[in-house]
Amino acid sequence: MNYTHFPVISVMGLFLGAFLVEVFGSKNKYIRNTIVLLITTCAAGLMLYLVKPVFIDGQIISYWMGNWEPVEGYAIGIGYEIDALGMFFVILTVLTIWLAAVYSIKYMEKDSHLGHYYTLFLMLSGSVLGLVCTGDIFNMFVMIEIMTFAAVALTAFRNKKGAHLEAAFKYLVVGCVGSGFTLAGIVLLYMQCHTLNMAQLASILHGNLTPVSVLALALMFTGFGVKSFIVPFHAPAADAYMSAPTSISMVFSGIVNKAGVYGMIRLLFVVFRVMDISSVQIMVVLFGVVTMFIGVTMALAQHDFKRLLAFHSISQIGYVITAVGICSMKGVVSGLFHAANHTLFKGLLFLCAGAVLYSTGTADLDKLGGLSKKMPKTTICFLIGAFSISGLPPFNGFASKWMIYQSLYDKAVTTGNFFYIFALVCAVVVSVMTLASFIKVTQAVFFGQTPAALKETHEVPFLMRLPMWIMSLLCVGCGIFYRFTGNNLLLPAMKSTFNITSYIDKMMGEGTAAASGIENITIHAETGFEYWEPVIWLVLFVTVLLAVFIVTLIGRRDRGKVLSTKEEADGKYATFFSGEKSSHSHVAGSDLFWGFKRNWKGYFNVMQKFHSGNVNDYSLMAVCCCALVIVFTYIVLL
Amino acid sequence: MIFNYITSVLLIVLGLYTVCAKRNLIKIVLGLGITDYGINMLIVSIGYNYGGTAPIYAQDLFNVGNSTAFVDPVPQALTLTSIVISACVDAMALALVIMVNKRYKSIDANEIRRLKG
Amino acid sequence: MSSFFQIIENIVKAMIFPGLLYATAGGLLLAGLDRKIIARMQRRVGPPVLQPTYDFLKLCGKETIVPHVANKPVFLAAPFVGYVSLVVMMLLIPIGGYSAFSGKADLIVILYLLTIPAVAMIVGGSASGSPFAGIGISREMVTMMAYELPLIIVFLSVAKLVGGDSMNFSLQDITAWQEQNGPVIFSLSMIPAAIAMLLIIPAEVGMQPFDVAEAETEICEGPLVEYSGFPLGMFKLGTAVRIFVMTSLFTSLFLGGITSGIHIGWTVCGVYVGDLLVRGLIHFAICAVITLLCMTFIHAITARLKIEHLFKFYWTVVAGLSLISLILVWIGV
Repeated sequence: MNYTHFPVISVMGLFLGAFLVEVFGSKNKYIRNTIVLLITTCAAGLMLYLVKPVFIDGQIISYWMGNWEPVEGYAIGIGYEIDALGMFFVILTVLTIWLAAVYSIKYMEKDSHLGHYYTLFLMLSGSVLGLVCTGDIFNMFVMIEIMTFAAVALTAFRNKKGAHLEAAFKYLVVGCVGSGFTLAGIVLLYMQCHTLNMAQLASILHGNLTPVSVLALALMFTGFGVKSFIVPFHAPAADAYMSAPTSISMVFSGIVNKAGVYGMIRLLFVVFRVMDISSVQIMVVLFGVVTMFIGVTMALAQHDFKRLLAFHSISQIGYVITAVGICSMKGVVSGLFHAANHTLFKGLLFLCAGAVLYSTGTADLDKLGGLSKKMPKTTICFLIGAFSISGLPPFNGFASKWMIYQSLYDKAVTTGNFFYIFALVCAVVVSVMTLASFIKVTQAVFFGQTPAALKETHEVPFLMRLPMWIMSLLCVGCGIFYRFTGNNLLLPAMKSTFNITSYIDKMMGEGTAAASGIENITIHAETGFEYWEPVIWLVLFVTVLLAVFIVTLIGRRDRGKVLSTKEEADGKYATFFSGEKSSHSHVAGSDLFWGFKRNWKGYFNVMQKFHSGNVNDYSLMAVCCCALVIVFTYIVLL
Repeated sequence: MIFNYITSVLLIVLGLYTVCAKRNLIKIVLGLGITDYGINMLIVSIGYNYGGTAPIYAQDLFNVGNSTAFVDPVPQALTLTSIVISACVDAMALALVIMVNKRYKSIDANEIRRLKG
Repeated sequence: MSSFFQIIENIVKAMIFPGLLYATAGGLLLAGLDRKIIARMQRRVGPPVLQPTYDFLKLCGKETIVPHVANKPVFLAAPFVGYVSLVVMMLLIPIGGYSAFSGKADLIVILYLLTIPAVAMIVGGSASGSPFAGIGISREMVTMMAYELPLIIVFLSVAKLVGGDSMNFSLQDITAWQEQNGPVIFSLSMIPAAIAMLLIIPAEVGMQPFDVAEAETEICEGPLVEYSGFPLGMFKLGTAVRIFVMTSLFTSLFLGGITSGIHIGWTVCGVYVGDLLVRGLIHFAICAVITLLCMTFIHAITARLKIEHLFKFYWTVVAGLSLISLILVWIGV
């Protein structure tokens, strides 16, 4: 079968679907749901068919739009090119959009104007898919812009509340400042190289950095930074994730900010190949560390479920950027793994938040409580997600964080740079703080006592639980069989990040890379992660647990009967309340971590000023950061 | 030619200054527009060759030595795309400003900050 | 046939030495010793050394009450998960140079496995729905944030000392290095780190003066307030095993390789049972001394800290001590 057409069919299919939904599906919900499910399933199926040729056979899939192949070594047409790195992000994208589509059907059913919602949703999906498939840098910019529009419009979709519109406006302004930087960078690159194809750009720019291309690098780095919401561009992200419908928040944190990360990797590793310069590595790792730290500390201070998750999203992107910035083979593997894991567990957590919002109508941590008795299945999914993101073994978040720590330490001892040790310590502390803030959510939302307003809460319908179960399973599976994921997905993706000769040759013809002096580096199949055996740990755990259980059962026959939860008048089964009659006394989210917040009061006050809510301040931060990056890259690279 | 570049950089800086310094939301949207015009001007300037003609009139398209013979068409295509996109940005931003004004009864950026911290 | 023996051997490892039986018995004995010596220091007679064991057996016979606001499955599962994960950790730490499964985990894995029992206690307490438990879990979590920073720095300095310019987080390699070059604590630069680690152990275990999470006079044992009967016994057992795990970790990090010269030569089925017995006993003795040093003495002479003081103490004094070690090791003193 000729599968080279599949990427473009998928991307165009999603855009076509957006059109069809608007035309035929704005009235009838059955037609609408059929179109959306059909289109997303087809796109996912077609793209997943490419897993075999790309990952197993090691091919690179290229496609020239309108068959405009390069003429005399100059790429004129728009080319789609999917190597293992692109394919890795493609898998994340199609998985997320499919699950989000399934989840939306029930979650959004109470809203009006759903035709518009699905139109925007399919446009968002199509643009992200196009972004990771394309080999043309201007096409990438166009996809980024479509992505930003769709995302902004979806943020403002539930426009009953003013805050949602405000979030959309901030997102739009900061996003467009970022897109402006990206476009300026692309234009400067075109000025230098007279081509827009990334493969050709890579071959021309190799060892050939001029002031113009360095300026382009700085501008585009900032532009993609805005799209991946690293600090200091993160403030609109928190607002947008909070305001968008939850199925869209999941898409935002799952793939929209990954698109920025993908762009950054493509830019730094493939197009410019500047990552072997140690100062650039330090710059990227510094961005990552600051992002993860500010993200998690801000999350600790939040009172809204979705806003808290949004800040965690920022923080986890910090991990990914840090790991990618290390630029060792281990680092890139762990960064990509964490990106995938983040898509899984953060998607899961957003879906749980959506379930809570769907059932109770609020996401305020201080108004919720005791939902685990009403929504037991959601609680299990949430706990899996929370344990994954806080890196408890044997879930997937642990596997990737552990890899990141190993890579950071490795980098520190090979370069002798104490900065990486600092980054490592920071990453560990951030991980504990992540755990702390999820303990806060667990206590505030799922355990504790139920407020009177929430007595009638019910479990969410099956169609909403299905994506949650799939994601939970993937979280556990990726954690336990991390070697399988590593060898089959991450290693090929990492190889294609470092060895780009075949990427260039496939697009521009054999020998182009060699002519411009780009050579492959040897990559060891061994990645050096051998000291964590989740399977053995689990087997031991289950064995010992069984033994303890058997001892328990032998010890007392009637134990099963004693464990009853019947309510009795004498208060034997009421909670202890200092001998008083127990009343509703829920320890809510804002009551927790008193000592910690007190110790960090000064820091939190500064951070409050930093997140002022004023759109001018946010854009000023973006512009200043861009200026700093330009100055830094000029000092380092010229 | 250098005049074009100076003007486009000035436009970009002016636009960014407007976005960062003006409290009025409409002015912020205008600032975004000005930035985009600056970038568009940069694109067109890059492709332009003094005394060049449209590519279909150029005699020898693939003669490398004769590169001044025609104006590079690619940047012009890019500019068109970029103009369309910035028109979308402006339309959407203005629509949002109208809605924000309905809800907040204000278009001052200092008052539209319910989401903070 | 050999694979059959291997399975039997592994089960023996998991159940008897250094697994379930050894860890539990050792932990209970350490907890008993701790109580006895504190009593002697305060001029009391004190309970018998086996008192924690008797307490556990008594708790097993009591009724288990689940409050009606609690989430029953989570509430009942938490103590088991906490206890079992501690026992499994014991298998991953080398005991007297003998490592059951210690090739399967390195220091960072240990760091994260250590959080599982704490999280089990927090989630269990949270599931009980009691406001006291709510305050308790918040304090437990802050305690965890407090000691995690110095702990990772201690681990990094040991790894840097042992590994030099290559990566070495493996506990097995750390033990092997100490057999060659003598215990880590003998190198001068590591003494601050060892002191820091000794100060971390009581917070990790939840001993006075760092028992803010359980503060029985203040918040009625915090997360454990609603537990009764067998699950409470499980938690008490878990705390006892945690003492043993933490002291074992200290031993294998700083005092490894002391017992490696001992050979008795009494074998059963090709396993040096005599060696294991002696090493296990010596290991226990060392752990007892460390317990005495870092927990009993401090416990006897201090009062409970406030939570914000605890946090400040760990992020300034203890983290500073461990940082001194790390910097000294880094510049190669």
